[in-house]
Amino acid sequence: MAAPAIEFQEVSKSYMRRFRSVEVPALSGVSFEVAQGEVCAFLGPNGAGKTTSMSILMGFIYADQGRTRVFGHRPGEVKAKERIGFLPENFAFYRYLNAEKLLDFHLRLSGRQVPEPAALIGELLVRVRLDRYKGLKIGKYSRGMIQRLGIAQALLGNPELLVLDEPTSGLDPAGRKEVRDLILALKAEGKTIFLSSHILSEVEQICDRVIIIDRGRVVRAGPLQQLLSSGTTVEIVVEQLPQELEPAVNERGGIIEREAGRVRIIADAGQKRALAEMLWAGGCDVISLSPVKSSLEEMFLKLVGEGNAQP
Amino acid sequence: MKIRTIALNTFGSFLRNKVILLFSSLFACVVLLMMSPLLAYNAQTTAANALQMQGLILNEVSAVITMVSAFGSLLAAWAAADSLSSELKSGTILAVMARPLRRLEFLAGKYIAVLMLMLVYVFAMLGVTLLLAWLGGQRYHTALWTLLVYPMVRYAIWAALAMLLATLIHPVFVLGIVVLLATLVHVLADASSSIPAFVRIPGHLLLPMTNLLSEERFLIITKASVKPFPWTGHVTALAYGIDYALVCFVLAAFLFQYRSLTRD
Repeated sequence: MAAPAIEFQEVSKSYMRRFRSVEVPALSGVSFEVAQGEVCAFLGPNGAGKTTSMSILMGFIYADQGRTRVFGHRPGEVKAKERIGFLPENFAFYRYLNAEKLLDFHLRLSGRQVPEPAALIGELLVRVRLDRYKGLKIGKYSRGMIQRLGIAQALLGNPELLVLDEPTSGLDPAGRKEVRDLILALKAEGKTIFLSSHILSEVEQICDRVIIIDRGRVVRAGPLQQLLSSGTTVEIVVEQLPQELEPAVNERGGIIEREAGRVRIIADAGQKRALAEMLWAGGCDVISLSPVKSSLEEMFLKLVGEGNAQP
Repeated sequence: MKIRTIALNTFGSFLRNKVILLFSSLFACVVLLMMSPLLAYNAQTTAANALQMQGLILNEVSAVITMVSAFGSLLAAWAAADSLSSELKSGTILAVMARPLRRLEFLAGKYIAVLMLMLVYVFAMLGVTLLLAWLGGQRYHTALWTLLVYPMVRYAIWAALAMLLATLIHPVFVLGIVVLLATLVHVLADASSSIPAFVRIPGHLLLPMTNLLSEERFLIITKASVKPFPWTGHVTALAYGIDYALVCFVLAAFLFQYRSLTRD
């Protein structure tokens, strides 16, 4: 069986405040795995420990406790990094280089042997729509252009695992869609993608799994579909609902929404049998009975609390 | 290959570094200013005052060379400290260190870039020294390699020491500490100073005694006063310098291996 792409086992990390002997815990016993070929979102409010986890994963900082592995290797090891493409949050660059030179610099560091480096770089610049600006100094790039360039450099080494910290940060809606499509294309190629994002609707569209972290602890992890359908609400759709049945439905906590040609009843899952039987007995034609999927945003807010609304 | 890539990129950044360019320009201005009295002395030299003028000229040349050498030490220290801390501060190090690159390779690339910068400086310094001696009507009686290798080893020490300090503190503090250490070395090297043994001995053991690597040990800029200096003397002095620089670099690599790379 292939080793997981990412493995965190009981990882803890604290920071010491400068000039004070105060220890600030950033991660407390964080455990999760990301299988090869998965697209996994890493979500949490600001200060939850996302960037700390990603920094540990990349070998930029060391965990105080626990075990971390990337394709079975320790983070920071050359063998692990050979298989990773990384986009840091707020990608920083050498302002005096242009896009071509920056990518050439990163290609040399990646150790990837390609017959025609210029052709590969040109191809990547086309993919992120920067080919027209390849000669322009990066210092003159807009925020969105820099982010796209960051994505191009992450793809340079043809990595098996992409670690993307806020990949759509600073992009306009069109740019965000392009990145989303790019991630979906990479997913189709079988790449493993581990990303953090503030835009939960996007995460819903592209991710297979979600890990939610809050105050340095994993509060929920699992396949996205399973997490979203684990709600306690059901939706019953009937063709018509006689007025005399409405009090009985309301009595069982049902919320009635009348629409053209049908009536939706939203109720607690515990009442679904009683409600369905009552509706059948009352002569209603039940069209469907299904669990109500909550949105990722609803689930996120429920888990981390309204006070931490910023994902 | 990867070390070379880091070194060339860092060297390129030095050539665009505003602080380095500003200091180099100021330095060139000061050297040019100091040349004018030298030319004046030379023009005023007659058969009657030749010896007196030669003394003035030699003093002037010596002052310029000391200044050039001291500036080189500061340049080496600043370049080394800034090359490391600017990457940490700006966050450019994150994308670089995400590549299959060891921290030691990154640090070695940075260090080699500083040595490349100092090599350019040493050649320029040699040019200035020869020019000054020629303007003063004097000639160097030594092999040119000593005028290249000795300052390079000196600067290698200061660069490695600065790199070591930069893994811990801000480059401005690094520069301050380097100035302080250089002053201490100068005081300790002065045989006439009455420093107690409990300060002098640890000082000699711990501080980079760059006076051992000074050209003045085997060279005096006069027509016929080259001190005899055996090849074993060169080997010992240079080995000391290289060893000191290597120890500092290894310590810097050790500290860098375990420090956080996230933005300071």
